[in-house]
Amino acid sequence: MPEAVVCVKPIPDPKHWDRLSLDPKTGVLRRGGIPTVINPLDKHALEIALQLKDNFGWEVTVVSMAPPETTQTLREALAMGADRAFLASDRLLGGADTLATAYTLAGLIKKKAPNFQMILCGNMSLDGSTSQVAPQIAHFLGVPHITHVSKIEAKDGITFKVTMDLKLAQLILEHQGPVVLAVTKEVNLPRLVNIMGILAAEKKPLEVLSAADLDLDLSKIGQNGSPTRVRNLFMPEIKRRREIIKGEPDEVAEELINRLHQVGML
Amino acid sequence: MGDYRGFWVFIEQLQGRVSDVGLELLGKARELADATNTYVGALLLGDFSKAKAKELISYGADKVYLFSHEKLATYHSLAYTKLVCQAVTQEKPEALFIGATPLGANLAPRVAAQLETGLSAHCVDLRLGEDGILEQIVPGFGGTMMAVIICPEKRPQMATVMPGVFPKPEPQDRQGEVISMAVEITEKDLVPRVVEFKAKEQKTVALDGASVVVCGGYGMGSKENWQLLEELARLLGGAVGATRPAVDEGWAPEEVMIGQSGKIVHPKLYIGAGVSGIMHHVVGVQDSEIIVVINKDPNAPFFQVCDFGVVGDATQVLPAFIGKLKERQKRACDFLSIETPQMNEGPYSPDSKGDSQ
Repeated sequence: MPEAVVCVKPIPDPKHWDRLSLDPKTGVLRRGGIPTVINPLDKHALEIALQLKDNFGWEVTVVSMAPPETTQTLREALAMGADRAFLASDRLLGGADTLATAYTLAGLIKKKAPNFQMILCGNMSLDGSTSQVAPQIAHFLGVPHITHVSKIEAKDGITFKVTMDLKLAQLILEHQGPVVLAVTKEVNLPRLVNIMGILAAEKKPLEVLSAADLDLDLSKIGQNGSPTRVRNLFMPEIKRRREIIKGEPDEVAEELINRLHQVGML
Repeated sequence: MGDYRGFWVFIEQLQGRVSDVGLELLGKARELADATNTYVGALLLGDFSKAKAKELISYGADKVYLFSHEKLATYHSLAYTKLVCQAVTQEKPEALFIGATPLGANLAPRVAAQLETGLSAHCVDLRLGEDGILEQIVPGFGGTMMAVIICPEKRPQMATVMPGVFPKPEPQDRQGEVISMAVEITEKDLVPRVVEFKAKEQKTVALDGASVVVCGGYGMGSKENWQLLEELARLLGGAVGATRPAVDEGWAPEEVMIGQSGKIVHPKLYIGAGVSGIMHHVVGVQDSEIIVVINKDPNAPFFQVCDFGVVGDATQVLPAFIGKLKERQKRACDFLSIETPQMNEGPYSPDSKGDSQ
């Protein structure tokens, strides 16, 4: 059966992003115990694969690169209906930029799902928002890619008609053969997890692989394989007044009007 | 990196229509090139005449590399990647800038991967470090941090840049050359096959150029509460924007999303209601003259970068604020209709003193 591979990224739950902060000394992100969830757009990518499974009998494989504690997050993808999951997890993979990440995921796919017909990704992750990994995976696997996918028509399960949303226009494309697609939330409504799915997920294979397991060129992974560096972080110069107004709604509304009036805005 | 010289810009076009972001980037590239005594290159792929390509010189290009072919009028990622990489490999620019649009975000990562170089995404500024390395400014997590991304060892240094962050230069009478490049593409480079190009009706969103922007976030709580923003915007003669979580909830259309992957706005007055101030959003509003934030969480990062921060539930503060504004407007109108009926700028125009001769 043809195989769809879905790339999934565990991210800190966006509903709790107000709890994110940066350590002022180290510049390291403090996640403050925020739970990890599947990047929301990745669920839309998974839904495409699950429909191919429902309608045409495809196999659905989930891949990810993340710390080992995220295996529970991948279980959710299995509970939604994926058949198996592979997680590349290794200290050597840390500090990877998009190029090193794409190289690693491509290596994982070559090793575990070499006969893929389709690779599906969310068009971007809500935390990093680079949108760069999907086209770069396609490069490393030597297949075409389409991003900003807002519609997919499977037709016979062999030829796919895909809409790429360019904001000012749409490109309608047709394709047969292996391809990487990065989808937007317009593409579908992901299914919810049910209890049967959760029970089934416990029995599905979820394998954690190290860099050594994947036959990767060590000069191309992790921080060593990342051409970009963070030179520094800085606080943008704040020339704002930062005047805080507290009180009952009526009081604060009145006070806000006064202050806006003082600065010539009302 | 002695061999690599020149700042290049990929000029985005859709079916012959050149996007502003490419011209904005030409202006920035011109500035960087002048500071380091090098040249500006423009990469133009499409179905264009040399005369059309020449227009880019007036926006700051010294050399326009023109790949002209009827098949290139429509974007094809593989063909574009191949030709861009070919030009870069041949001419060795030190940097290549691409607009952070859907087309740019489709093209740039594949080009960077093929050239085995670094790429930063959605930059909001570009500058040169003391060592001459390009510093690519990308908003970071947490509300007030910006990350300076560099690509120290690989060339070209590549960045996608948000539309609207640099001004579009005025065309000037300048000298430069158009270099016609050979286009060698095969059927293999034109997959996936484009079967249709559908231009969307170009809606100008009220947000573009609005002097007052009222923006709602996740804290607005529901689509019903969203009406409060519409009403406030009407009162102030402004437009309504939204954060990504609010768009994700379906309270507002994607066209009005403000922030790193949406719109950049520059109003005189920005009011964020139920907005926590994630940097992805803040970068889109930081050039506003006055920033007002209403949020019930006193620790919301937005309070650190605002002018007036109201700690309170936006769904309760806004009705009070609207009510008082209406009273005030009524008073002003009553007053104006008696004393100065000829005044037509409205009660919210701070500079109208009646002496605008």
